[in-house]
Formats: sequence, structure tokens, C-alpha cells
Amino acid sequence: MKLLNSTARASSAVLAGALLLGSLTACGGGSSQATAKADTSSLTLAIDSDSASFGFDPLRVSAAQRQFFEGLYESLMTLQPDGSAGPGLAKEFSYNADNTVLTLTLKEGVTFTDGSKLDAELVKANLDRRSDPALSAYSAVAKGGAQEITSVDVVSPTQVALTFAKPQPGFEKNLASTTGMIVGKNGVTDTASLGATPDGSGPYTLDPSTVKGNKYVLVKNGTSPEASKYAFNKVIFSVVLDPQARANAVVSGQADVAMLTSNTVDFAKSKGVGVSQIGGTVNTMISFDKIGKTAPAFAEEKVRQAIQYAINRQALVDALHKGDIPAWNALPKDSAGFSKDIETTFAYNPDKAKSLLAEAGYPNGFEFTIIAGAQTQTDLQAVQKDLAAVGITMNVKMAASTDEAFAAVATTPLGYAPLNWDNPVGVMYGAILNGFTNVQKATDEQLSAATGELAAAKDDAAIKAAATKLNTRLVESGWMIPLYEALTNQAYNTKKVAPVEFAGTNAYPLLSSYKPAS
Amino acid sequence: MEVTMALFITKRLLMALATVLVVAVLAFLLVHAMPGSPGAVSLGAGASQEAIDEVNRRLGWSDPLLAQFFTWLGAAVQGDLGISLIDGRSVSADLASRLPVTASLAAGATLLSGILGIALGVTAAVRGGIVDRIIGGVAGMAVALPAFWIGIIFVYLLAVQSSVFPATGYVPFEVSPQDWALSLALPVITLAVGGGAFIARQTRASMLEALQQEHIRTLRATATPTWKILYVHALRYASLPIVAAIALQFIQLFGGSVIAEQLFAMPGLGQAVQNSVSTHDAPSVQGVVVIATVVVVAVNLVLELATKFLDPKLRAS
Repeated sequence: MKLLNSTARASSAVLAGALLLGSLTACGGGSSQATAKADTSSLTLAIDSDSASFGFDPLRVSAAQRQFFEGLYESLMTLQPDGSAGPGLAKEFSYNADNTVLTLTLKEGVTFTDGSKLDAELVKANLDRRSDPALSAYSAVAKGGAQEITSVDVVSPTQVALTFAKPQPGFEKNLASTTGMIVGKNGVTDTASLGATPDGSGPYTLDPSTVKGNKYVLVKNGTSPEASKYAFNKVIFSVVLDPQARANAVVSGQADVAMLTSNTVDFAKSKGVGVSQIGGTVNTMISFDKIGKTAPAFAEEKVRQAIQYAINRQALVDALHKGDIPAWNALPKDSAGFSKDIETTFAYNPDKAKSLLAEAGYPNGFEFTIIAGAQTQTDLQAVQKDLAAVGITMNVKMAASTDEAFAAVATTPLGYAPLNWDNPVGVMYGAILNGFTNVQKATDEQLSAATGELAAAKDDAAIKAAATKLNTRLVESGWMIPLYEALTNQAYNTKKVAPVEFAGTNAYPLLSSYKPAS
Repeated sequence: MEVTMALFITKRLLMALATVLVVAVLAFLLVHAMPGSPGAVSLGAGASQEAIDEVNRRLGWSDPLLAQFFTWLGAAVQGDLGISLIDGRSVSADLASRLPVTASLAAGATLLSGILGIALGVTAAVRGGIVDRIIGGVAGMAVALPAFWIGIIFVYLLAVQSSVFPATGYVPFEVSPQDWALSLALPVITLAVGGGAFIARQTRASMLEALQQEHIRTLRATATPTWKILYVHALRYASLPIVAAIALQFIQLFGGSVIAEQLFAMPGLGQAVQNSVSTHDAPSVQGVVVIATVVVVAVNLVLELATKFLDPKLRAS
């Protein structure tokens, strides 16, 4: 149906075209930031979660947030580029003969953003906060924790002594992360103020242009002597939740460095972006209930072993985690305790799984429920199919609330989480033996012995022997049912940033390690 | 006439206020129905019951429900939406900093979808034939495509491949108007595709009806310029459903900006909702719901007034 003449039709078409063109060109004019001259005055890091979702109290977060908080706070000890612990706010440390007292000698002349100065009283006030149950960084050193500190005593204005419930050789490494970060006097006195205002002595301070949950802008702290060790005058932590968006951000130049998931690595590399990789984080199913309180079958070691055999890890990685490494070992590939034998011993074998179930008294399998989150649902659905093939019915229930997800450790027999093994003794004491994954208070003599042995090991051979024992027992006992080792990928703009380096096996590079490209 | 209009506006304002009040009550009740208390949220999983009770008492959570609501309402009317349970910041201040982001997104996308939709809808109605079918087909597809997918394609083409626009981030207008426009470009285009297609279909239908009216034929017979017939007389006649469609688009885009905000890492209200719900930050959730309701109710009010203005029959009633 023609309603108007050709002139009218032409005029409407021209107008439509002009509007379309105008709307697009009005938004145009951008230039390639990726090809712009390298700007070494600032560094933008695209990160995968809100580093300060609980505010700026370093003791309310875990070691995973160490990199961000390293900008604002100094620790009693510092993580060194090789992964060891070195001097920090404590310039020296020493143990007594039986390793039950650790004495720290503090640096002098350290000033916090509130104007207060570092002294032994302030360190004591910080460490005495360990009785506050809200402080996750202190869960292992608080009362009842495996590395319990029984008292903190001021020896002199520059010396403080930590007394432990039992010998703790190597405890200083704990002080190189968020646990060892020291807050200024105002922050310790009014801890609620740390929700909105950091109070540290770190190399950077928080800039007012920060937008909570979106981007955190750190600028050099003029009063910090440590600031000179950091190459960039301004560091922006940009929260980009979507993995593809993070890859896009570094490829197109909005971010200089980005944490990538393994399935976006090839894309980033194809666009000329550099990628540094490290393992160390094993995504593992964790047996919460080893005594059968929530699901009787889980009290049987053979049942937990049957689950080990029933899961096709290679298929899981091929389908859902391209680029990552299937894991049969509880400890990561670069760990001293890693064992090739475990890979063959516990290789995918559904027939063996069925026979183990029969030996344990469950020839027809059994049923249980696992709580999933958005990140874990697809993995669990893949595992669900494998378990169903050997007769085990695993119901996957999405967590209705954060409370339900947290409560799962007590209400369900099996969970699933990423575990970073940078500090195996800390993980064992803090999370596995006495921590939140063992609310049913199960015991395993071999695991306790191997952990103690590892904590006391002084040389490489002893560390390897103890770590191998620990790793083997974790898998054999079914306390850990590893699925795959996720690689941590740091993509970087090669024109602006030097190749990213990791501190030992720690998955989060030191903030001080980022350097401009030469 | 003026008295009638004043009465109409007063009535509508009162209804808008009542709507906001009802939503505020519902939001308040729903937040209270959520598992956990503010004390448990702010102190974390390992807190003792005594400590939780103490925080709840301090925040007034233990007071009768009615007293709590009126305390909250009294403060909210004065612009104080409480403080975040997570970091102790003012909810009002946080939302005030986020509102411009979401408003820019929604307004920009509505403007662009309105311009595109009207232009394409008029073209389809006027030209008919193959052009009409092409526009109809493309609009049909565009309405069906998810905004997230459209965004990924645009980012790949215009940010990753050609670096025309930034792939992520938001620059406030006061920092740099040019960078502000650039940072909004891709999210706005992403959101405008579906909206533009919807408006184009609505415009086409309305224009077809308008072009068949007696007075349009008369105007053609009197040699009135074509552009004037199309864009002044016919479009005005067809404008009521188009204005309604544009207003609906704004409301939908305002509420649906969470997708674009996540994809482009923008600090808007959608991101605030996501953060506050995941951390059980009750005052923040309540604040966002109320702010979003006020915006939606205000847009509806403006729509009704615009409708009244555009339609002489309604204006006279």
C-alpha cells in the first residue's frame, strides 16, 4: 500500500538515515587506548570481585584480598617475591626454645593516616581484636583456633611477644598476609570507622574518586617510606564481574592488567595481550561430614573413595574448564607434596566405585543433597551425572540465601570450594582439621600427624616427605575430592606493563611487583 | 479548565504518593521477612548471639515493627535512608552517586530508541512494500534478542576490534563530558536496540492509522508540504501510543539496567541492588526499591500529563 508520493518516501528515508547516522556519530570519536603511548603514572587492575565489600578492615577479609589491602596497610611481615616471609612492620623476629613465644621487633617512625605511630601497644591492640568473631583473618589464631595465640605482651615500646597455645614454628608466614596487617589507633579504637575509612600506613591512600563496589582509586602516600617501592603513582582496582568483560577491558585498553578465567586466555593472547599463569588453587569437593551425621554413608571411607573413582575429571575440564588442569591430587601441581601416583591410583573407574560402594554396604547407592551457588552449579551438575552412573543420587540445591550456603557445612555431607594451598599448614589447621569445614569434629590421626610433621619440617626433603603424606592421605581418606586445578591468569598490556610475576606459588601477585614495561 | 487541570494533577500526585507509600511498606516487610538480622549480617557467621542481639538493639531491630517503620519513614522523608550494615556509609549518599549513572543510561537509551523507533516506524508506514517488510523483520528480531548478547557483539565489534568506544567503565560528566558520552555510548546503544524496535512497531501501527484520517487527505489536497503532513500532523495524531511506548521503555530500561551495568562495569543502581542483596544489606535494599519506585511513579505521572496535553479530548474532560 502506497500512501504518499515518491518525494515523501524519499524525505522520510533520508530523515531516518540521518537520525541513525547522527546518533552513532554523536557517540563516536574514541581512540585506541591500547595503542596510545604508555602511561606509567597509573595502573588499572580489572579484578573479579569487590575487594572491599565489607569495608576497609583488613581483618574482615581473607588472604585473597591481600593484594588490594597491601596498598593501604603494611603487615608485620611481608610476602617476598620468592614466596617466603620477610621483614615488614616487624624488622626482626625470634622464637623461644620450644617455639611457643614469637618476639617481634618493630620498625620505628611508621605513621598511620590518622596520625598515630606504630608501637608495641598498637600491635597488641590490633592482635587483641582476635576475640572478635567477625574477623575472618583471625579465625585460626583466635581462642580455640589451631594456631591460637593465648596472649600478646608488650615487652618494650618496640617489642611485642606472641604466646601460642602450642609450638608454632613458621608462624611468621601468617603475619605476611591480612592477618598481620596493622590498623592505626583510631581504626582500632573505633573499628566501625573502618567500614568507610581505611586507617593504614601503606604505600597508598584511598582517593575520594573511589566508587564503592565499582572502582577503588589508590594514590601514593606521601608519608610512607615504602611508597618508593611501588612503581605506579596511582593504582585503580576496577571491579569487573563478568569474565569476558575483563578480557575485553584489557584487550581494548581500559585495564592494564586483568584477572582472566582460563577460557578467555586464548582470546586475550590472540589480541596481543601478555598472560602470566600460575596454578595453586584446587577446586575440590570437601567432605564436611565424616561421621555420618547428615548422611550415614559418608561415615564410610570406602564410600568417599568410591566418589573419587566415580568422577570423570578430564571430561569435566574438557567440557567446562578448558585450559585448566584435571586434579586427582588434593595439593596443586607445583606443591612439594604433589604425587603422580595419586593420578593413577584414583583414575576414573566407575566399576571400582560400584564395588567399593557394595563393600561399604551400599550396593544400590544412596542419596544426599549438596548446596550449590551460581559459580558451582554447572560443575556440580556434571558430577551429579557421574555419581548417578554408579548409583549415587546427588540432589543439587541452589542456595536460597548466603546463610543457607554458610550453614551447608553443618547440614550437608559434601561441599565444593576453591582451595589455595600457598600455606598448607595454615589451610589444614585453619579450615580442614579444626576449621569451618569440620564442624562435626571428625578426626584422622594420619592427617593430624602429617600436618604436624609438615609444620615442623626444616628442610626441603622433610617438607616433601610430609607434604606427600598429607596429600596422599587427604585423597585416600576422601576428606578432599579434588576436581581440577584452576590456573590463575594475569593478563597484561605488554606496551605498558612488564610481564606479571607471582610471589612463589601465591596466586595473587604482590602489588609492588607490577612494573612499567621497559 | 485550569481548575479541572489542577484537580487532575492534585489527584494524580496523591495517588503517586500512595503508591510510593505502599511500595515502601512492602519493601520494609519483605526486608524483615529475609532470613537473618542486621546484627548477624554486620557481625558475620561466627558472631555470638549476645553480640548479634546488641547490634540489633542498637539499630532498633528489636523495636515493634510499626515503630521501626515510622522511624524509617520519618527519616526517609527527610532524605535519610539509613546507613549500610556492611560499611556504615549513608545509603542516601551512595544512591545519590549511583542515580545519575542509571538515569543517564535509561534516559540515553530511551532517547536513542525513541529517535530510531520513530524514524524507522514512520519510514515503514510511509514507504510500505519491501522496506516495510525489512524494517518489520529486523525489528522483530531485535525485540527478541537478549540485551546481554547484543552488548557482547557491540563490545567485540566497536571496542575490541576497532577501539571506537571503551569496553567497560563509566566516567562522570563533571570529570569529562566527552569521556562521559563515550563511556555511555555502548551500553546506551545496547539497551536502545530492543527498545527502538519496540517503538518502531508501535509507531508504524499508529502512523498507518493516522495516514488514513480525513484531515490528512485534506492536507494533501491543499498541497501542504509532505514533511509537515508526516511529522507535524500525522505524527501528532499518532503520538499517544508512541509516547506511552517511550515512557514504558524508560521504566523498563531504568529497572533493567543491571544487565548493562554488569556487562560494562558501571556503578549504577543495578550494581547497588546486586551488591546489597548478596550481602543482605537491608537498608540499602530498601533504599534502592524506594528510589526506583519514585522514579517509575514520576515517569508515569509525566506520561499521564503528557497524554492529557496531547489529546484535546482528554484535555477538555
